[in-house]
Amino acid sequence: MAVALFPMSSEIEVKTPAELLATETVVERTARFERDAMQYTNQLYAAALRYTKDPHNAQDLVQDTYAKAFTSFHQFEPGTNLKAWLYRILTTTFINTYRKDQRRPLISDGEVEDWQLAAAASHTSDLGKSAEDEVLENLPDGDVKRALQEIPEEFRLAVFYADVEGYSYKEIAEILGIPAGTVMSRLHRGRKLLRVLLMDYAKDRGFGGSDGM
Amino acid sequence: MECNEIMHALILFIDNEIYEEAQVQSFQSHFQNCPQCLNEMEHERQILTRMKTLLADECCEPAPDDLQIRIAKQTALLASQMFSPTQIITEYRRTETTINGQTHIEIETTHEIRGDFPLS
Repeated sequence: MAVALFPMSSEIEVKTPAELLATETVVERTARFERDAMQYTNQLYAAALRYTKDPHNAQDLVQDTYAKAFTSFHQFEPGTNLKAWLYRILTTTFINTYRKDQRRPLISDGEVEDWQLAAAASHTSDLGKSAEDEVLENLPDGDVKRALQEIPEEFRLAVFYADVEGYSYKEIAEILGIPAGTVMSRLHRGRKLLRVLLMDYAKDRGFGGSDGM
Repeated sequence: MECNEIMHALILFIDNEIYEEAQVQSFQSHFQNCPQCLNEMEHERQILTRMKTLLADECCEPAPDDLQIRIAKQTALLASQMFSPTQIITEYRRTETTINGQTHIEIETTHEIRGDFPLS
C-alpha cells in the first residue's frame, strides 16, 4: 500500500506505511492507538480471564498489555491483524509476569490426560452419544465456563482461541508461540476434557441416574 | 482413504484445517460412500458447533468501566513521557588563515540535537 501525501513543488511524494510510521508524531501515534487498539478491551479482558482465572489479575494483565502495546505500537505492521498482535502481547506479558507468581507447576503436554482421557473414553461409552447430545442441549448457564476454567491452562487457551475467537491453528500458534502441531493436540485434548467435565456435572446432578449409574 | 485414516484426521477436516483441495475431495468422496464415517463426522461437527455457541455466549465478560479509564490514563501518561523539550545547539566555527598574503577561510557548522526521542 502506498499513500500519496501533499504534493510538494509539483512532485507527488509517495510514502510507504513504514515511512509514514517513522515520521509519526507521539500525538498521531496516540490517536491511532486509541482509534485502533482500544476497541478490543472487552475481548482482551475476556481472554485475560482465561489466563489468570481471577478478575483482579485479569484487569492488571490487560492494563499491562496495553502499556506494552502502546510503547511498541510503531512495530505493529499496519494491515496485519491487530487483535491477534494484542493477544500475542497478552500471552508474553502473562508468561513474563503473572505465571511467575503461580505456585502450580506447569503441566506439560501428555502428563495430564492419561487418567482424564481414560475417563473420557469410559464416560462416553457409559452414557452414549445421544445422552451427550441431550446433556449439551440442556446445560445450565455457567457450566461451560466453569468447565473451561477447570481444564489445564494450555488446553484452555487453545480451546478459547479456536472455539471462542475462531482463529486457525496457525494463528493460534503465533499467539501462543508454539508449533501448529502442538496447537492441534492441545485443542483436541482440551475439547475432550471439556466434554468429560460437562458429562460429570450432568451426572452429579443425577442425569442418567434412572439407568442405574 | 481408509476409515481409520479419516477418523484420525477428522478434527482437521471439521476445523477446516486441510488446505489441499485434493485431500478435501478424498474426505468428501469417502463420506459419500461410508455412512458410518459420515455419521461420525456430522455428529462431531454438531457437538463442536454446540460447544462453540455455548463458549461464545459465556466467555464474553465485558471489561469493567474503570479498567477502560485506567488504560486511557496510562496511555496519556506514557505519551507525555515520550515528549520532552528538544534542544538544537548550533555551533559555527570560522577559521581564517593568512599565509604570505593568501587568506583562506574555513567555516564549520555543527548541529547537536538533544532530546528524548519516542521509545523505540
